[in-house]
Amino acid sequence: MKTKKTDRFSNPTRRTIVKGLAASPLVLALGANKLGAQELSQMSSNTQSSNSEFVNGVSDSQIVLGTSAAFTGPSRGLGIELYRGAMAYFQDVNSKGGVHGREITLKLYDDGYQPDPAVNNTTKLMRDDKVFALFGYVGTPTVTRVLPLLKKFQDENFLLFFPFTGAQPQRQLPYGPFAFNLRASYRQETGGLVENFVRVGREKVGVFYQADAYGRSGWAGCREALAKHNLKMVGEATYTRGTQYTASLKDQVEWFMRDKPDAIVCIGAYAACAAFLRDAVDGGLQVPIANLSFVGSENLLKLITDTHDNPEQYSQFLVNSQVVPSYNDLSLEGVQLYDEFMTKNAPSAPSEVTSDDEEYKTFDRSFVSLEGFLNAKLMTEIFTRLGPEPTREGVEEAVFTIQDLDLGIGETVSFNEDRRQGLDRVYYTIVENGSFVPLNDWTAASNGWTEAAS
Amino acid sequence: MIKITRLFQWTIFGVIGLFGVLGFANAIVTLTAIDRDLTRETRENSQNIAKAIADSNVDILLNNDLSTLQSRIDQMLPLLGSNGYIYITDEHNEIIAHTFVPNIPEEISSSEPTGGIIERTLKGKGDFFEVSHPILAGVGGNVHILIDQDDVSLLIQGAMGNQVWPLAITFLIAIVLGLLLVNLAARPIQQLLHYAVALAKKESVDEPQNEKLLVRKDEAGDLARLYQYFALVADPNRSGIDAK
Repeated sequence: MKTKKTDRFSNPTRRTIVKGLAASPLVLALGANKLGAQELSQMSSNTQSSNSEFVNGVSDSQIVLGTSAAFTGPSRGLGIELYRGAMAYFQDVNSKGGVHGREITLKLYDDGYQPDPAVNNTTKLMRDDKVFALFGYVGTPTVTRVLPLLKKFQDENFLLFFPFTGAQPQRQLPYGPFAFNLRASYRQETGGLVENFVRVGREKVGVFYQADAYGRSGWAGCREALAKHNLKMVGEATYTRGTQYTASLKDQVEWFMRDKPDAIVCIGAYAACAAFLRDAVDGGLQVPIANLSFVGSENLLKLITDTHDNPEQYSQFLVNSQVVPSYNDLSLEGVQLYDEFMTKNAPSAPSEVTSDDEEYKTFDRSFVSLEGFLNAKLMTEIFTRLGPEPTREGVEEAVFTIQDLDLGIGETVSFNEDRRQGLDRVYYTIVENGSFVPLNDWTAASNGWTEAAS
Repeated sequence: MIKITRLFQWTIFGVIGLFGVLGFANAIVTLTAIDRDLTRETRENSQNIAKAIADSNVDILLNNDLSTLQSRIDQMLPLLGSNGYIYITDEHNEIIAHTFVPNIPEEISSSEPTGGIIERTLKGKGDFFEVSHPILAGVGGNVHILIDQDDVSLLIQGAMGNQVWPLAITFLIAIVLGLLLVNLAARPIQQLLHYAVALAKKESVDEPQNEKLLVRKDEAGDLARLYQYFALVADPNRSGIDAK
């Protein structure tokens, strides 16, 4: 792993575990051989501050949130970057004494972006770890399977906060009341992409999607958006979740070549979508290839850049929707803060749940980590509003007090019984000079794609 | 090595043949039953899965929550073997969720609505039988399950293999036991032959096995005693014969 060593606050899980273990002098003595003196000293000081008992994830000194996300496998970049963004904010909060004197810590589990481990992890978080709430989950196939657990344990008032998915199941009945979302939905992202493609005359839209709940969610969004214009999809192809960048997706490209779409919307994760972009351009399918925010834009671009001498040949066809503004837009107060905290706190990947066998180089800035940062900022606001005696029962009421809250990204956030999603705006980006920049002129971009193809 | 007496050669061949016919008939009946039962069971299971999906996802379909619907069929997929597929059509016969990768086969996307059980050949994927079940009596669409016939064949072959081995072993054991029993039956006759030859050649018959033969209560004993009687009648002075 090419990651920086975790600092004091960026490794709460290990710290939490160690707090339990470190009460034993034997463990401290046994561990002394392996750990540095500074680290041991740190654990000891933490132990002294954690003697109080946890009730529903809350002690006198901590509030524990539970996370199950992809920290290993082909989509690990999403879980790692989302976590890093959140920790950039939580570290700052904790360094200032936490919220009402309590540090915010995360209990992490890796699910590898697979539904069954996500369900098992969530069961552990709810029954064994008894965390305060679930936070920062990654993925539709995982979250969709976890939602029934929230209903099962509804008497214990567990809620899921700000999952990294724009799918509908946690936005509508029967599971909508058990979750709060910050990001815009896939329906909004796909709707916006299709709308813009149709507006610039690209009415033959194909859809390439992951063969699971996530893919289906995006597929449904595209279908709905096209239906508004009395259009139907022109070609569709799928891939299996977990497909690596090294895989060939030429079969899918061939399928689209027969239908000759004007644009393709991809509903997938970065490894497979990068492979599809590569094979599409190589195979002569040179049309704009759009990806949703979930794809992990920087991870996708990095795969293309790292494996080609002339990455622009591929990236010129990319158009990615985002649910947060550009991390380069420092005119926004929230982005400035993100930029500052990412530099100051330099959060690393969570070494306790990542794999040493899988190399991963973190990004200085990314859309995913910015989203994680905003999630943490809003979560902290909720804890502040919960007051000095936080209970799960009071969370929903505290969330509903949030009206027109400014997160510093030019869009306010409000929640109520009927509105459990904070943001609605979708941003569009293209690649220029090796990084994603806002796409403001779709007509010019469309002309550029036509020119590039010819 | 078991030696077969000439007297019982045809008998043992007959026994082996009989066992063979019985074993073959038994195998045919058993394997036919396995084939019929497993095929029926697989189809019934597929129908049950299709019915379970159709009945348990009505609300999801009515809510147009296709991602949850997809999640449900993904969960069911492992029940269909290594190469099974599920797809769901709406009331307009448009496919709204499926498990095909990399695309929906043309044979399916261009086909008319189906019901019950049909057989399909999908290019590049194999031969399938497709089971359909209506959602809300068809007004909500249909659930379709595709089971790979190769998977069913493998299942049947596996079950047949499990039956054939015991049958083959039973057949072999029966043959060996038949040979042993025939040999057991032939042994007094061989002794009798040996005794008769010794009497005829006027050789010594003072052997323990002849003693045992002469005291037998069965036909071999009767014949031995008869030979002894004839030998004494022919040569009353012959020594070494202790009349029984």
